[in-house]
Amino acid sequence: MRTLTTSQAMNEALREEMRRDPSVYVVGLGLYPSTGDSATNGLVEEFGESRIRSAPMSETVIAGSAVGAALAGLRPVAELHLADFAFNALDEILSKAGKWRYMHGANGAMKLPIVFLQGIGGYVAAGAEHSQSPLALYWHSPGLKIAVPTTPYDAKGLLKTAVRDDNPVVFFTHKLGDSGPVPEDEYLIPFGVAEIRRAGADATVVATSYMVTLTLQAAQNLEGQGVDVEVIDPRTLEPLDIETIVDSVHKTGRLVVVDEDTERCGVAAEIGAQVMERAFPALRAPVGRVANPNLPIPYSPPLEEAVLPSVAKIEAAIRATLT
Amino acid sequence: MKPTPAEQLELYTLMVRSRVFEETAGALVVSGEIPGSWLSGIGQEGTLGAIHQLRPDDYLTYTHRGAYGFIGRGSDPKLLLAELLGKRTGYSRGKGGRHIADLEHGILGKSGTIGGHAPLAVGVATAIQIRGGDQVVMSIFGEGTSNRGTTHSSMNAAAVWGLPVVWVCENNGYMGNVPAPMYTAVMDIADMAVGYDMPGEVVDGNDVLAVHEAAEEAIARARAGQGPSLLELKTYRMRPFGETSTDLRDPAEATAWRAKDPIRRFRSALIESGVLTDGATVAISEAATAEMETARSYARDSSFPAPSDAFEDLYA
Repeated sequence: MRTLTTSQAMNEALREEMRRDPSVYVVGLGLYPSTGDSATNGLVEEFGESRIRSAPMSETVIAGSAVGAALAGLRPVAELHLADFAFNALDEILSKAGKWRYMHGANGAMKLPIVFLQGIGGYVAAGAEHSQSPLALYWHSPGLKIAVPTTPYDAKGLLKTAVRDDNPVVFFTHKLGDSGPVPEDEYLIPFGVAEIRRAGADATVVATSYMVTLTLQAAQNLEGQGVDVEVIDPRTLEPLDIETIVDSVHKTGRLVVVDEDTERCGVAAEIGAQVMERAFPALRAPVGRVANPNLPIPYSPPLEEAVLPSVAKIEAAIRATLT
Repeated sequence: MKPTPAEQLELYTLMVRSRVFEETAGALVVSGEIPGSWLSGIGQEGTLGAIHQLRPDDYLTYTHRGAYGFIGRGSDPKLLLAELLGKRTGYSRGKGGRHIADLEHGILGKSGTIGGHAPLAVGVATAIQIRGGDQVVMSIFGEGTSNRGTTHSSMNAAAVWGLPVVWVCENNGYMGNVPAPMYTAVMDIADMAVGYDMPGEVVDGNDVLAVHEAAEEAIARARAGQGPSLLELKTYRMRPFGETSTDLRDPAEATAWRAKDPIRRFRSALIESGVLTDGATVAISEAATAEMETARSYARDSSFPAPSDAFEDLYA
């Protein structure tokens, strides 16, 4: 099977969906002229400047106009580039996209089919305002769906599902990117179905995006030491496939959640709480969390490494559940 | 083009219906039957001169103030009052209160944040442009909202993309009890149009025919694909900020503006030109009163939502 980068896989997803449905369009900064490996590379040549809409420098306009166009019946894809920048459009994403259908009592069968593309993640020496992964912020707020693909395969299949969903989807991809096999034939990946990245019997680790890559390395290291780790990638946080996680915990009795976001009120806290509500008797050790210890992400690589999750930190957290 | 006598009568009737609706809603706030608030647009009904000209397939985004957007577009006062009373039969099934969408009439919802609707108007106009229609979006905002970055970003985007947006600023001179010079650098909001390369025009907002004339031009421009315009309607809120708010504005100023009440002015002009008779005036008012009493009864008689309804409507 051919190998694609995450951006190439997303590019294919957008191209296929835009060919299939004339109501799909993309709005964002600097969508053309294309400069290489991006999700929107080359799309303007096929779909024109009206549907590949280069926006003024305003996340407010990018996200807010997507909401307005969705209310009027289109299916916008809002390219916000970095999650850090999308903070400029929180009213539009959290309150308008997330809450308008509910607040207006679904008047006129109101729907908001929008995809908000956001890049996340550190490990690139970019500093506190270019390195964030605010998954929990969006998960905390009602009305959104949240996709966090790890592989190019998942990125393509989930993005096609996101575009066809009648609800707003915040779609996070890690700025480190990835490459991997992607089939030529069309496929979609449903939301709310976790992928077991590695089967194991001793401990369950839940991770998303680049944290899956780090966790798989940690699991491989531990395998040599006789520890058999199961790695679960939920792929979407909303909806969350909690059943697969709970089933795994019933098997292993141990849970660690790895999250690149800040720890406090974070993804790990939420998944940990849900597992404790559903499977407390199965737990043989406290739930472990590996996340940013509530600090802005610093620039210098040794400092960044001190703050963000690492293979060593994940190994240590898994070991702590086994002692 | 001046509206025909029949159109003028229709416009006058809308203004009266809007005002009686607002008086009805205001009384229900004071009586406590509306559990939330109502922000009255009484005195600002001249804006109907612009709203009235929209086609049924056009769109409107509105501010936190006034009922004329709904009345002008043909919304049902029964469902409006039911919503304000928190009833299940309301436009938002009791979940929105003043946050009302009437998609059937091109009213796409109410932003809880002041100015939050401006980028949405850009998006609706984007949809029109991508589809290739000649509809327009009228986006109404207040002079206080002109302070918001959302407003400026949206005006810039609408101009850059050549979108069919008619920006209508109702300048009533106050943000709550704070006078405009304390928060806005220019006293004519229309001047801001220069920064976004679009026409900007100051209009006497209490002269409904002047509003009509200015809006006609702006709408025609938008329909013809010539891009956005900004109209500034100089007006005055004849009620406090909210129905139970304390009004700290100068009473003499309020009295002077009351003499310029847009409904009273239009009525005098219509009677003078023979379009309206004293008898017809009374009949229009009585019909509006009867309509809003019926709407109030409907709202009162409607059921509250069941607690389980709180768990519906989040996802499509």
